[in-house]
Amino acid sequence: MDFGLTEEQTALRESIEQFAQARLNDNLVDNDKAGVFARENWRECAKIGLVGLPIPEAYGGSQADAVTTMVALEALGYGCRDNGLIFSLNAHLWAGASPILRFGTEEQRRRYLPAMCAGEMIAAHGMSEPGSGSDAYALTTTAVRDGDRYLVNGSKTFITNAPVADVFLVFATTDRRRGFAGVNAFLVDSDTPGLTVGEPTDKMGLRTSPMADVHLDGCAVPASCRLGPEGGGSAVFNWTMERERSFILAAALGTMRRDLERCVEHARTRRQFGKPIGSFQAVSHRLVDMRLRLDASRLLLYRLGWSIDRGQPAGLEAALAKLSVSENFVQSGLDAIQVHGGYGFMTEYELERDLRDSVASRLYSGTSEVQRNLAARQLGLS
Amino acid sequence: MPSDVKDTIRRFILDDLEWPGSAEQLSDEFSLVDEGVLDSLNLLEMAHFVQSHYRIRVDEEDIVASNFETLTAIEAFVLDRLGTASPQSSR
Repeated sequence: MDFGLTEEQTALRESIEQFAQARLNDNLVDNDKAGVFARENWRECAKIGLVGLPIPEAYGGSQADAVTTMVALEALGYGCRDNGLIFSLNAHLWAGASPILRFGTEEQRRRYLPAMCAGEMIAAHGMSEPGSGSDAYALTTTAVRDGDRYLVNGSKTFITNAPVADVFLVFATTDRRRGFAGVNAFLVDSDTPGLTVGEPTDKMGLRTSPMADVHLDGCAVPASCRLGPEGGGSAVFNWTMERERSFILAAALGTMRRDLERCVEHARTRRQFGKPIGSFQAVSHRLVDMRLRLDASRLLLYRLGWSIDRGQPAGLEAALAKLSVSENFVQSGLDAIQVHGGYGFMTEYELERDLRDSVASRLYSGTSEVQRNLAARQLGLS
Repeated sequence: MPSDVKDTIRRFILDDLEWPGSAEQLSDEFSLVDEGVLDSLNLLEMAHFVQSHYRIRVDEEDIVASNFETLTAIEAFVLDRLGTASPQSSR
């Protein structure tokens, strides 16, 4: 058992941290207030291969294995304080590019992946609807076969990247009576007649990651744009969600590490009652707990990456990692503010933003309750 | 062999998926999807079982209702992956 990184992974981590610290942190407080997506920084990320991390070089990607991808994302989370940008990048990678690589035809891969890896095309994932979230297969968006095309009608909600997306992976049913078995997945370009994107959604955190509802009104989608086999939407969705929940919180390791370092430094230098506040056990124990959560999160995620790289089933490990890291992310965000006292509550200290950004991690890619359900099922409990 | 596959799947549905119906109801053409035996998660369990029990490769693209719609469909899928002609395909 080897817990160390390779020389290449260590070098990659250092280069990404330096890149992110130098290039991705301008105007964050203002951008957060205004909900501005840093498109130029997206392109910068593309230049060093971050928006095509797991995609093979043949399609313009970096061809990183799972552990290396996690190393890169942790480094990005450490160096880049724009959690919204990172969230958008994750949505693009795991819910857009990856399913195209896994289920796409060669024509679909050639059409989308090189542009996605180059930062020229942004992907969004359209499953959730106003009436179907955790109960995803209760969706009502329909796709009716009409010759060599499908006519798609319905509405999608909470769609990350929608205001800036060039292509949507849309899930729709061709037979509602058959539940999951009637679901199909489609690649729908943003300029398809009948597809409209609503006003950007205002939200508690991840404000620099644009989100909106998407409406499909008689969208004519060529049959060649179906992703995966006929009736294979559930296979696409299940695989995509497992992949997303496996990787989407790797960057949170970096955020937690950065915030812990800030807290330790603050506890060593901030003096109250004539002593550094870190000399009080109420503070030092809180910091130890933060470190414990960080280490536990990292071990869960990297073990998961190790399993994925070996082609082993990792459904249980993915659910456990997503569940644990998200809960740790939120709790450590609360602790970081508590250690900083009133300063931590102030926007300019940029800790309250990390906390606000962390809360969604318990919701996206399956809520913590859904992760527990998935894990329970893997344990043989219905 | 064909009856073995169907019987094995019947037992899996009753014992492991804990479907509350009877073996008699699980006729060869009984729709496992329309009758609610399989939902999206049960389907994954079924696919994993078939993969490990018969030591065949089941890719994500294979985990679709059409391959697991009925006992007959599952048998045909398994035999196809085992490289054995199914009763239907040999007719």
